[in-house]
Amino acid sequence: MRFKKLYIFIVILSLNVSSLWAQSNNDVKTKDTTTWNKFIPDYVKLQYAGGIGFLSAGVGYTFFKQHLDVSLFYGYVPKWFTVDDLHSISLQFTAKLFRIKASKNVEILPLNIGWYIHHTFGSKFWVKLPDNYPDGYYWWSPGLNAGVFIGGEIKTKLLANKTPASGLAFYVRAGSRDLYLASKAGNKSIPLTDIIELGFGVALYR
Amino acid sequence: MFMTIKKMKNIIKILFLVSVVLFTSCTDAFDYSSYVIDFNEINCGVNNKNLQKLKTKSTSDTIKIAFTGDSHRFYDELESFVSKVNEVNQIVDFDFVVHVGDIADFGLPKQYLWGNSYLLNLDIPYFVLLGNHDMVGNGGQAYQKMFGDYNFSFIYGDVKFVFLNSNSREFQFNGKVPDINWLDNQLKPDDDFRYAVVIFHVPPTDADFDANLTESFHETLDKYNNVLFCVHGHLHHFETYKPFSDSITYINVYGTEYRKFNTITIYNGEYNVSEYAF
Repeated sequence: MRFKKLYIFIVILSLNVSSLWAQSNNDVKTKDTTTWNKFIPDYVKLQYAGGIGFLSAGVGYTFFKQHLDVSLFYGYVPKWFTVDDLHSISLQFTAKLFRIKASKNVEILPLNIGWYIHHTFGSKFWVKLPDNYPDGYYWWSPGLNAGVFIGGEIKTKLLANKTPASGLAFYVRAGSRDLYLASKAGNKSIPLTDIIELGFGVALYR
Repeated sequence: MFMTIKKMKNIIKILFLVSVVLFTSCTDAFDYSSYVIDFNEINCGVNNKNLQKLKTKSTSDTIKIAFTGDSHRFYDELESFVSKVNEVNQIVDFDFVVHVGDIADFGLPKQYLWGNSYLLNLDIPYFVLLGNHDMVGNGGQAYQKMFGDYNFSFIYGDVKFVFLNSNSREFQFNGKVPDINWLDNQLKPDDDFRYAVVIFHVPPTDADFDANLTESFHETLDKYNNVLFCVHGHLHHFETYKPFSDSITYINVYGTEYRKFNTITIYNGEYNVSEYAF
C-alpha cells in the first residue's frame, strides 16, 4: 500500500520529466503554444532532509517573474532511519527576494524565505481529531503541520547544453515547524539547533 | 566560457565544502521528519536499564521514591526538578524516581529525547510511565523504543510496584485498557512481596478512563487486600483522596509545572507523603 503511493508518485514525476524532455526536443522551450505545455511544471526538485523526508521529490511553478515558487513535494523516510517508513506530502511557498547575476551563467539568490504545510500519511497522523476525543481535546494535529524556512540558491546553466533543461540550481535551507517552535517557547534549556530543520537540494529548471 | 566553467566548478567546490561542514557540525539538524524514531543506545530500553541499576542497590526496610509527571513542554522545570532531586538525594537517599506520564506533549520522538535528556542526569534509577499525550502520532512506538512495555512491574524490598497503562481514550475505549486481567495477575499474592503500589497516568474518576472498567478496576485493587496506595498524574495538581468505598488511598502527584514534587516513603506497610519545592 505504502509502496503503491510511492510508485504512483514516481510515475507522475517521470512523466513530468519526460514531457520536459519531449517538449524541448521540439524546440518549444521558449514558447508554450499548446495548452498542455502551460501545465508542465517549471521545475523539478530533489531535496535531502529539511523536515519533509529523507529524500523528497517536488514539482512546481514559478509566479511573479520567478519571485515566488509554489511546489508540491512527496517525501519519504525509509524505515532503516526510523521504526516504520514515513510517507508525506508538503506544499511549499518560497519567496525569492533577491537575485544577483554573478556571471552569464550563474545567478545567486541569497535570501529565499518560505512557508510550508506538511501532511504525513497514516491513521496515526490524523488531521481531524478522531471521534473518541471531545472537541478541542488536543489543540494541534499530528497529521498537518506548518513550518517556515530561509535559504539560498545558486542557479547555474549546468546541463543546459547537454539536456533540454535550462539549468540546474543548488539550494540550502534552514527552518523549523510549529510543534518544534512551541516546544522551544519558554525553554532556555532546549538548544536552538535541536529545533532547526536543515536541508539542501537540487532543482532542474525547464 | 572556460572561465565560467571554472567559476562554476569553484562554486560547486564551495557548496560541497559548506555541505561537509554543515554535515559534520550538526548532522542532527538534518531533520528527515518530526516522526522519525531514531534513538541512540542511551535512549533505548530506559526503564529496563534502570531496573538493572535498581537491582544493584542495597535495599533497606524503608523505600523512598520521588515523583514527578505531566512535564509536557515544561522542560526548564523538568531540568530544575532533576537538579533538586539530585540535591535532596544527598541527604534523603532516594531509591528511585517515577515520572507518571506525559513526558512528550505532542508525542514527538524529539520531545521524548528532550524529556529523557534531563532525566538521564538523575543520580538514581528512574521509571517513566505512559501518558495519553505520549501516544499522539507515533508516540506510542517512541515510548516502546525508549522506555519499554506499556504495563510493567518490579519488586523492590517487600513491595511490588505495578505500572499500569490506564489511557483508555487513546485506545478508543476498547475494553482492554487498563488491562484488568494483567493487573489481577500482578496483584495475586506471592511469597516475593507483601504489599503492592499501583501507579497509572489517568485516574478512574476521569472521563479519559474507560467507565466500563471502573468497577472491575477498583474491585481488582481491593481483591487481595495488599495494595498500599495508588499514584497517578494527568490532573497535574497534588491531592490525596479515597475515590471508592474501599480503603485505598489515591495520590495525585504534582505535575512539573508546579515546581514542586512529592516524595513517598514506605516503611513496613506504612507510608507518608511529603513535598519539596524547586
